[in-house]
Amino acid sequence: MTTNTPLRAEPEAPPVARRRIRLSREMTKTLVVTVVILVIVTVAAGIISGSTTVLTQAIVTGVLTGGIYSLIAMGLTLIYGVLHIINFANGAMVALSLYITYEVVSIFGVHPYLALVVTIPVMMGLGALVQAFLLNPVMRAPIHTQLLITIGLALAIENLLLLVFGPNPLSVQLPGNAGVPILGATVELSRIYAFAGSLVLVAALWLLLKRTSIGTAIRAVAANPEGARLVGINIKGIYILTFAIGAAAAGAAGTLIAPFSTIQPTAGAIFNLTAFVVVVLGGMGNVPGALVGGLVVGLTEQLGALIFPGQSPLLAVFVVFLIVLFVKPKGVFGRAS
Amino acid sequence: MSVSAPTRASKQSDAALATPYLALAPRRPFPYEYAVLAVILVAGAALPFVLPAAEMAIAVRVLVFALMGIGWNIMSGFGGMFSFGHAAYFGIGAYTAGFMLVEFGVSPWIGLVVGMIVAVIAAVGISYLAFRYKLEGAYYAMSTFAFAEMLRLFVSGNDALHRTVGFTVPVLPESSFGMFQFDAGSPLYFWIGLIMVGIALLTSIVFLRSRTGRFTLAARDNEMAASALGINVLRYKLTAVALSAAITASAGVLYLQFYMFIDPDLAFGAHVSNNAIITTVVGGAGTIWGPLVGAIIMAPLSDVVASFLRNPPEQLSFLAGHGGLDLLLYAVILIAFVILLPKGIYGTIWNRVKKK
Amino acid sequence: MSASTESTPGVTVDQVTIGSLHPESGASAADGQQMDRGAQYAVDAINDAGGIKSLGGAKLVLSSADTQGKPEIGQSEATRLIQEGAVALIGTYQSATSANVAAVAERSKVPFVMDVSSLDEILDQGYSYSFRLQPNATLMGTQGAEALVAMGEAAEEPVEQVAFLYEQGNFGTATLKSFQAAAEDAGVVVDPIISYDPASVSDMTTQVQQVAASGADVLAVAGYYRDSLLVSQAVDTIKPDLSAVFGVANGAFDQPQFVTDAPNAGENYFDANYHWDVTNDAAVELAEKYEAEFGEPIRTSAVLSYDAVMVIAEALEDSGTIDTTDLRDAISKSSYESLVVNNGPVKFDKDGENTNASIVVMQVQDGAIKQVYPADRAESDYVYPAPVN
Repeated sequence: MTTNTPLRAEPEAPPVARRRIRLSREMTKTLVVTVVILVIVTVAAGIISGSTTVLTQAIVTGVLTGGIYSLIAMGLTLIYGVLHIINFANGAMVALSLYITYEVVSIFGVHPYLALVVTIPVMMGLGALVQAFLLNPVMRAPIHTQLLITIGLALAIENLLLLVFGPNPLSVQLPGNAGVPILGATVELSRIYAFAGSLVLVAALWLLLKRTSIGTAIRAVAANPEGARLVGINIKGIYILTFAIGAAAAGAAGTLIAPFSTIQPTAGAIFNLTAFVVVVLGGMGNVPGALVGGLVVGLTEQLGALIFPGQSPLLAVFVVFLIVLFVKPKGVFGRAS
Repeated sequence: MSVSAPTRASKQSDAALATPYLALAPRRPFPYEYAVLAVILVAGAALPFVLPAAEMAIAVRVLVFALMGIGWNIMSGFGGMFSFGHAAYFGIGAYTAGFMLVEFGVSPWIGLVVGMIVAVIAAVGISYLAFRYKLEGAYYAMSTFAFAEMLRLFVSGNDALHRTVGFTVPVLPESSFGMFQFDAGSPLYFWIGLIMVGIALLTSIVFLRSRTGRFTLAARDNEMAASALGINVLRYKLTAVALSAAITASAGVLYLQFYMFIDPDLAFGAHVSNNAIITTVVGGAGTIWGPLVGAIIMAPLSDVVASFLRNPPEQLSFLAGHGGLDLLLYAVILIAFVILLPKGIYGTIWNRVKKK
Repeated sequence: MSASTESTPGVTVDQVTIGSLHPESGASAADGQQMDRGAQYAVDAINDAGGIKSLGGAKLVLSSADTQGKPEIGQSEATRLIQEGAVALIGTYQSATSANVAAVAERSKVPFVMDVSSLDEILDQGYSYSFRLQPNATLMGTQGAEALVAMGEAAEEPVEQVAFLYEQGNFGTATLKSFQAAAEDAGVVVDPIISYDPASVSDMTTQVQQVAASGADVLAVAGYYRDSLLVSQAVDTIKPDLSAVFGVANGAFDQPQFVTDAPNAGENYFDANYHWDVTNDAAVELAEKYEAEFGEPIRTSAVLSYDAVMVIAEALEDSGTIDTTDLRDAISKSSYESLVVNNGPVKFDKDGENTNASIVVMQVQDGAIKQVYPADRAESDYVYPAPVN
């Protein structure tokens, strides 16, 4: 034994500390690169648009819409992180929540945000049922099986909404909605609230995952399902709970965006694309990362529209998406455990 | 000695668990597969004489779906590289042929060849980049999805490619084989499509039974072990991708010539990619006949449901006349198929047969 | 008239089928469902008045198909309807689907009367079997610009600079081009010109801020419902100094639902669009009947479907034949008094475009949509300048 040379040449520093330092350097590098790119893009947009007011508006709007995108993508990233399922029905669930919000407001005449009391539990229950009966049976199948189920679910929800509510667009008004000046730009109060909602949701999910025993169990299952099973965690139960929470997040998102969204059966589809991009950018499974991912998408969309007039700003978003995928597939900040 | 030894051992990977054990199939030539193919072609050729003309349009749609599915299957079923953006190759085929036809009057047959070449170049290019950067699983899938979307957005904003207006195939005064245009309802569309499907299936069979195919399957089931055995995994993966793209591009050209019209959404939209996946998975991914079975079932399904709802039997008459119900039923049927038969229809049958 | 109509005097048939192809599911189901009902109303009206007399009192039958908003479904359904005996087709609302159906119609030699489809290129293919009732995008852009300029001059506040916000697809782009040409001809500056992606846009404040910074006095918007509503929200938030917000073929600003959804009930918003004529008694009667039966206001698209069936019915009556080529000839010679605002009866040119198609300018006044220009179709005077802040 004494003649064996250890694999590492030098004496070990405590591995945890070393890992932390490495991460921090890499994160700083990523942050610096991101900030530099952002500054360049901002200046370019400012020059091309020729107006600081427009530029400020683009940045402020970009931040707010970014927050809204991350709000919608929150459940998606959680579900992927734990279950490794891309929930194509996320947008449809948001649409369903929009309609539930509409119904609550028109039946009871209450403030739209009070509908959260209904949408969150209802969507949670729906999510639990979907996982329990549709997805748990096929968790070991290849990813296209689960994908097709969520695609089918999205189609089913969309057409169910069409059947029940008809195709005409509906709306919900936020009492006291007004334009709020920020740094020379003006934004709608309802969007500020939605942005705040995304921060609250991130905090709530983070607390749940890091500070509760249920959250620990969820993280254990995400990190190592077999190991979690060995220590007696009910995997199937955790799957159900996670999907339910993800669906509840979509439910909350729907209520918060209702005051400025057109409520139609196809309303969810608009957000599906951007939600996927947000999830990858932030790191699949990384809940706070989704916030960052959303901001990147929102800013890219607004600034991209200024820099490349005449092209869909989504093109710029997807270019960024592909670059990040190739350069940092784990997302700008990597996976959270 | 066999390449399949490591795959037998590596039962842990999900792919190995879920596939219908073709990887374990011995390497005898299976000549009966060629016989089955011949029967399908002969039986199919008789179809225009048997089916009413209105159903022939649906039959051509089945062929388009089948081509997309067979293409997807080579890369994602046999190759294990799940593609969520196969519309990219479909669209490249359709747009290349459309552009050459409308702008330069070039025959769609030439457009077909050029389209296939362009699709192969694009597919190999994007996949090489992806494998270089070690994208796999869901990340690889997302990159294919992003690529298809980018093509759609790019074409929508490009003047030379007619932006969102797309290309309309000019109506010729007479049928012309050279320009791939016949009378409306002519069985030639179906026969040509059938031959294309036959060639695609033949490619599948030859690929699977060849060394390339076996190595690709090995790489799918356990990439590390395969490359430890000296298999150039990258080369085989890219071969599968190239074949897949070429076949899918041909589906795009068939579509263009039959429907006489293409635009960015019809060419590169997410529903095109979804159809390729649905067709194959419902039929049986990783099998030879799965995509064809899936196409025969799924392509007419929304029509069947719609006509059922138009004239429902007495007891169910309350169902008639509601927008959205037919697609809702289609979605429910799709979900049921996938849950009850996760290996697909043909895949499940094949699995039972193998177990005996 | 072709020789065959003289040699075969009005045959007697029991019924004549007209195929109706509309998106009854999918994103455009709201219009699609209405359009099918509008067509059915026309069929019922003809049948109640005794059917097609020159065919021995033949009853019209409407055979409806759901295109699902997809061109390949539209095509297979069109093929099916023709196989099942439809002598003519109407539809389809979506330009891509209409393009497909037009090709089917041409090759099957069955006339196809488009109720709604704005893509100019459909009738640029040299098809002789397709006809269009609605004004195409180019016409709407041109007439919209001319109306705006005239309205400004009559109010003694001539329009100097128009900012144009449009959706990036065919319809927005074609509308912009013709609007810009007509406006610049009249000495009006069109700047800034801003496009957006209607499928993905979720906030219009940056675009409206660009408009505000430019000093334009009018904002013109060529868009669909959802995105135009976003424009109105952004305008209400930023409150730019505009004399008017002027929709051109806009999918929101002439919709009653817009009044419910928009800030300030969309007060003062203009729309230069095709619309059913509120000064036409027959149209009003149809609208009231629809609202009584279905509990929602009728959309112009449904009235166009009604017109489409009527055009075919008149052609059947005139030609006394169900031969589809002769029917096509009869349709090409139509002179039908439409229920939609027009410059005269429906008259098709050699490409199949309705030369008398026109727009009317509407304005939201006190929560109601009013026709305000031109004067002979106006139900009330227009307000200009019409600030929306």
